[in-house]
Amino acid sequence: MGECNVIKKDRNSVINPLVTCQPMGAMYAVAGIRRGLPLVHGSQGCSTFVRYSFSRHFREPSEIAVTSLHEDAAVFGGRRNLISGLGNLAVRFKPDLIGAISTCSSEIIGDDMVGFIKIAKEEMTQKMGEKEAESIKIIPISTPSFVDSHFRGYDNAIKALVDNLAEEPTESNNKVNIIPGMVNPGDTREIKHILALMGIEGIILTDISDTFDSPLRPSATEFRPFYPKGGTTVGEISDSSNSLGSISLCNYSGSAAKSLEKKYDVPSSLGPIPIGVQNTDQFLRNLKKYTDLEIPEALLDERGLLMDSMADLVSRYLFGRTVAIYGDPAISAGIARFVCELGMVPSVVCTGVESKEFEEEMKKVSKESDGPVDMLVGSDLRALETRLQEEPVDLMIGHSDGRLFAKNLEIPLIRVGYPVYDRAGYHRVPIVGYNGGINLIDRITNTVFENFYDAEHWKLQQ
Amino acid sequence: MPFKLFEVDKEIPDREKHIYVKDEADPVEHIPKCNSKTIPGCMTERGCAFAGVKGVITGAVKDVVHVVHSPVGCTTYGCGSKRYPTSPDLPNGGKFPVENFNLKYIMGTDLKESDVVFGGMKKLRQSILEAAKEFPYVNAIYTYATCTTGLIGDDMEAVAKELSEETGKDIVTFNAPGFSGPTQSKGHHVGNLTLFNKLVGTKEPPETTPYDINLIGEYNIDGDLWVIKPYFEEMGINILSTFTGDCSHDEICWMHRAKLSLVRCQRSATYIAKLIEEKYGVPYIKVDFFGPKYCAENLRAVGKYFGKEAEAEKVIESRMKKIQAELEFYREKLEGKTVWVFSGGPKNWHIPQPLEEHLGMKTVAVSTMFEHEDGYEKIKERVGEGTVIIDDPNSLELEEIIEDYKPDIILSGIKEKYIAHKMGTPCMLIHSYENGPYMGFEGFINLARDIYASIYSPVWNMLEFDEMGEE
Repeated sequence: MGECNVIKKDRNSVINPLVTCQPMGAMYAVAGIRRGLPLVHGSQGCSTFVRYSFSRHFREPSEIAVTSLHEDAAVFGGRRNLISGLGNLAVRFKPDLIGAISTCSSEIIGDDMVGFIKIAKEEMTQKMGEKEAESIKIIPISTPSFVDSHFRGYDNAIKALVDNLAEEPTESNNKVNIIPGMVNPGDTREIKHILALMGIEGIILTDISDTFDSPLRPSATEFRPFYPKGGTTVGEISDSSNSLGSISLCNYSGSAAKSLEKKYDVPSSLGPIPIGVQNTDQFLRNLKKYTDLEIPEALLDERGLLMDSMADLVSRYLFGRTVAIYGDPAISAGIARFVCELGMVPSVVCTGVESKEFEEEMKKVSKESDGPVDMLVGSDLRALETRLQEEPVDLMIGHSDGRLFAKNLEIPLIRVGYPVYDRAGYHRVPIVGYNGGINLIDRITNTVFENFYDAEHWKLQQ
Repeated sequence: MPFKLFEVDKEIPDREKHIYVKDEADPVEHIPKCNSKTIPGCMTERGCAFAGVKGVITGAVKDVVHVVHSPVGCTTYGCGSKRYPTSPDLPNGGKFPVENFNLKYIMGTDLKESDVVFGGMKKLRQSILEAAKEFPYVNAIYTYATCTTGLIGDDMEAVAKELSEETGKDIVTFNAPGFSGPTQSKGHHVGNLTLFNKLVGTKEPPETTPYDINLIGEYNIDGDLWVIKPYFEEMGINILSTFTGDCSHDEICWMHRAKLSLVRCQRSATYIAKLIEEKYGVPYIKVDFFGPKYCAENLRAVGKYFGKEAEAEKVIESRMKKIQAELEFYREKLEGKTVWVFSGGPKNWHIPQPLEEHLGMKTVAVSTMFEHEDGYEKIKERVGEGTVIIDDPNSLELEEIIEDYKPDIILSGIKEKYIAHKMGTPCMLIHSYENGPYMGFEGFINLARDIYASIYSPVWNMLEFDEMGEE
């Protein structure tokens, strides 16, 4: 049993952040809606930087509109920008949903987004007719950039979607709501695969699996405007109040589930993200709890394949190795637990947020660790670099932004999470579920082969 | 009608003024409306002024640390995103301790709600002191206003002045909050004015020669500078300062000592060349090093200015000899292929003619995110009859352009690349390049090779399932 040390950074400033501001999380959430478009009420950088970041990671289009606040709006308010932005977007793109996302500037100016949306809706009705205007849902999402991080923005957005769209319950739809958190398309697909094996229909709030990983098939693609296939429909979100239960996979994104529970008695559970064996087991137990369905043989076989990999690889190649994990608080905690299951020690776990849920989850994980765990909270990549300079580890697990100092410190980096822009296809390969565990153990073990053994070494012979 | 309203723009008819189809018979002043506010919600590809100053101008300096005075987002997005490599070499012969420092680190004041209410000056002060402590070897600290700090009205200058004395380092404040100006171009302007007003003339170079130049508006994208620098060295011309590719902070301070300024990116940096000419009498000439022809012409112009015509000819001859065979290969492959160039600004007039002249390609469309009138005049002059010239195209227009003009290749940015691919059209990066550098004689071969690789990638011939099979 390892001790757990909570370490805060010894600076006020941030150096190479591990988080970004709230609006990005909201854009991510809206991007998972069928024919859904984010409209950022802010300066052009607020949309452009995020589009750049999404496109770099997913290698996919990322359509995000902006109200283009300039000096006049800073002085007189962004009323006209938001109203005409909504109108232009509605009439030219005919989306099913627009997520109107605030930023630091629109929050400081004090724009009344809800009021402006009402006026925009009236103008749209006049211009497009009631039926067409009514078919476009506009959801105000408040995401002040100077509060918390993009994880909070994601949580706020999912909650705003559910609060605005979920209807009074009628009868059970026998579905389970899943809030995936800011995971990759491959992860969401794996969750859907598990649901399918269980025989459960899910409502994914929201589903970026196809919108951020869509086929190149010009003849079967919607153009003018381009909309990727897939995504959660507005109807599904409306129906989420009729579900058997809600599972929020990440410890930062439970607000929508709690809201459904409070308003409509839809029971909910929060985390842990199904990374590794025990967390995935827990996820299946949650599914069973809400649906009363048995865990099918096919899933138990998938679990068995993971067991088989662990039995084959852990003791010989992985045992006792020390690991530094960084990035998303939910994913990092999940990987830390899996690392313990692999006989390794999560010596350093570093995240950019300060959250009770993360600390509690990590305290539990540290009890399963063979060595002490340093938990860096509210931290940044520079603090992690400094820590690893003083006390190195065998392996690093995290996103691409750690690549420069990993190389400098000669610590092999296993890439997971967001953003990964210097490897191909990682957004498509799941790390959740039993299959995700197999992918992770393979990725980790192959990194160990490459870095701790000579390619021609006799130890690799058999 | 020289101006054109796209079908997708019928609800935003103001767009018509921004889209011009070149007609030789038109008066000169017929150019797209530009550098004006963006239509909200039109799905523009433009960025903000902060991106203009940090992303384009100052992000290339090798030995300074940047402190972004903002909530965390602007700091995250400002981190090492543009491909601006730097060497550790310093003008005094020393080495900067961290290679590519400019791509590796960024700092921010990480403003929270209470700072928005009570002001962020205290955090700025702390962060600058922490910057000096964390990176004691940096030669200056640059700090940036953003939307938040622009709106709450922090007096950043006062903090910078006070701490310059305390830390013994130059602390330079850039006041280009994201909302200022219609595009990132506003940030370029602020960057130029700030660096000129606060730095130029404040230091003296270790040594000078009669052949010292400023290379202005050259940012070393993907190593561009390192292609053309040897040309000057071989001619016996000394680059005293680069603004700002692979440059050190001190180089900017002694730009007034050059004998001539060359302005490479004329959209983002003519400002400072003009200011240096006005105040210090250093003349400037506008140059273009994209493609062999422009490259040769401009090396000759510089050679002539310094009486080094023979040296220029020698450089041109050696490089042409080096690339001739490959140039011919790519010309054979690319002859008749059509292209749409969608750049930030000047590559609209740098790129089309070389592609036509050396590779036999045809430009069917050009567009920029942030060009001004003078740029569009140049663009119009250099593109062929019937080419459509678009200011600030939005993503629906992008679809219409691809459908109507059917370019064989688009040279653009990452935001446009993948949507073009979904339509079955190859698109390669021209802001930061695919496998650059693209400048100079050798760089042009890289550009040709990447265009060739994009167009001829086998994928484009097998996009759809063919039921008939190969027989």
